[in-house]
Amino acid sequence: MTQAAFFVLTALADQPRHGYGILREIEELSDGEVQLRVGTLYGVLDRLTADGLIALDREEVQQGRLRRYYRLTDEGVRALGAEAQRMAAGADAARRRLAEGRHAPGPGLAGGLA
Amino acid sequence: MTTLLESRYRAVLRLLPAYYRREREEEMVEVYLWDVDRDTQDQSRPTVGEVASIAALAVRTRLGAAGAPRRYALLGAAVRHFALFAVLLQAAAAVVDRALEVTWAGTHGWDMFLSGFTGRGAGLGGVAVAQWVLPLLWTGGWFALFRERRGLARVCVLVAALPTLWPVVAPLVTDAVPPDPAYATASLVLAWLSAFGVCAAFHRDAPAVVLPAGTPGLWHLACCVVMGASVVLVPTSADAVWAPATGFLACALGWLLWRARSSGQGGAGTLALAFLGLLVLALRVAALVPWLDVSVPGVVVAGFVGQAVAVALLTVALAVVGGRDLAAR
Repeated sequence: MTQAAFFVLTALADQPRHGYGILREIEELSDGEVQLRVGTLYGVLDRLTADGLIALDREEVQQGRLRRYYRLTDEGVRALGAEAQRMAAGADAARRRLAEGRHAPGPGLAGGLA
Repeated sequence: MTTLLESRYRAVLRLLPAYYRREREEEMVEVYLWDVDRDTQDQSRPTVGEVASIAALAVRTRLGAAGAPRRYALLGAAVRHFALFAVLLQAAAAVVDRALEVTWAGTHGWDMFLSGFTGRGAGLGGVAVAQWVLPLLWTGGWFALFRERRGLARVCVLVAALPTLWPVVAPLVTDAVPPDPAYATASLVLAWLSAFGVCAAFHRDAPAVVLPAGTPGLWHLACCVVMGASVVLVPTSADAVWAPATGFLACALGWLLWRARSSGQGGAGTLALAFLGLLVLALRVAALVPWLDVSVPGVVVAGFVGQAVAVALLTVALAVVGGRDLAAR
């Protein structure tokens, strides 16, 4: 799963959102690190819709303009959960390695003799 | 009332195909204009990044993105097939050419081989080494596509295509003789269309690459064997295009046989091969013409002409069969 797809799914995890809402939510979730362009966002929305991970929730017309809200499907919830678990496992492994490295007596074979 | 900024965004969105605009334009305009103050809208313009992201989306939606209509899905499949065949042909040609060159040097002495890289200064020597090494990256691009390393594949094919620019650039920066314009143009067009085809059609939404049979390594090896054999068996007729043109003939015949056995599948691939056939034919003819002014045995020229005729006939056959297959579906 790409970083953009992960953030779009995460942005929709708590409630349905429209395109602009998703962009702002991603910016907030990533502390401004990830700023998707509109073209990129719609490419990701198309792909996630085709994969059945998100679906159209409802449409609203505000001041003559169309606003579409998207929501996670059950499959999307499962995919996001699995991806979050995979990322958490990776982060745990990194933390463990860092902690072990600090307490290790000296350089290991691979790094020390190179 | 429509503001100037809205008109500018709508103009940018015209890059997208009509089916996509019908579905998404209003929604995208809403996102673009959401937090822009209406009073300042006439002073703003879409940024370069916004235009670039829409241009990228326009390419993906035209080349078979998720949910694209049939004709765009077919176009995407055709460009992907073309890029795959063209990369394979150039990958095998580069490997065969260099393998034969090294083999020849191994049996006849390395002096002549090494003189191609030495004795003309570090700059031109470096260019000669790059000209020799970089085309091998077509092979890297071929395998990267099957390993789903599309970014790597793009870099490989773009770098592999670079040597085709040198014959055009060299006369401008050195005292090199200008190349034969027809041959230089045909090589350049084949290489860069292949590279751009890989960059455009193997986008994130493109389906995984699947061969009708065998493995990527087997296809590469088979192409190398056919091309290498064509040179070894008829060394006097082997100019720079002989091996790739023979490789194309073998690929095209193999594809037509597979298509006949699979009851007319692969119309996009058949048309893609027909387009590749046109480029190979242009290359074959461009390489043939200079031989007509030189005193060479008639049998050699007859071989080149025969190969050109075979490529032309197969190209027409592929175009007709591919067109029929698509019309029937």
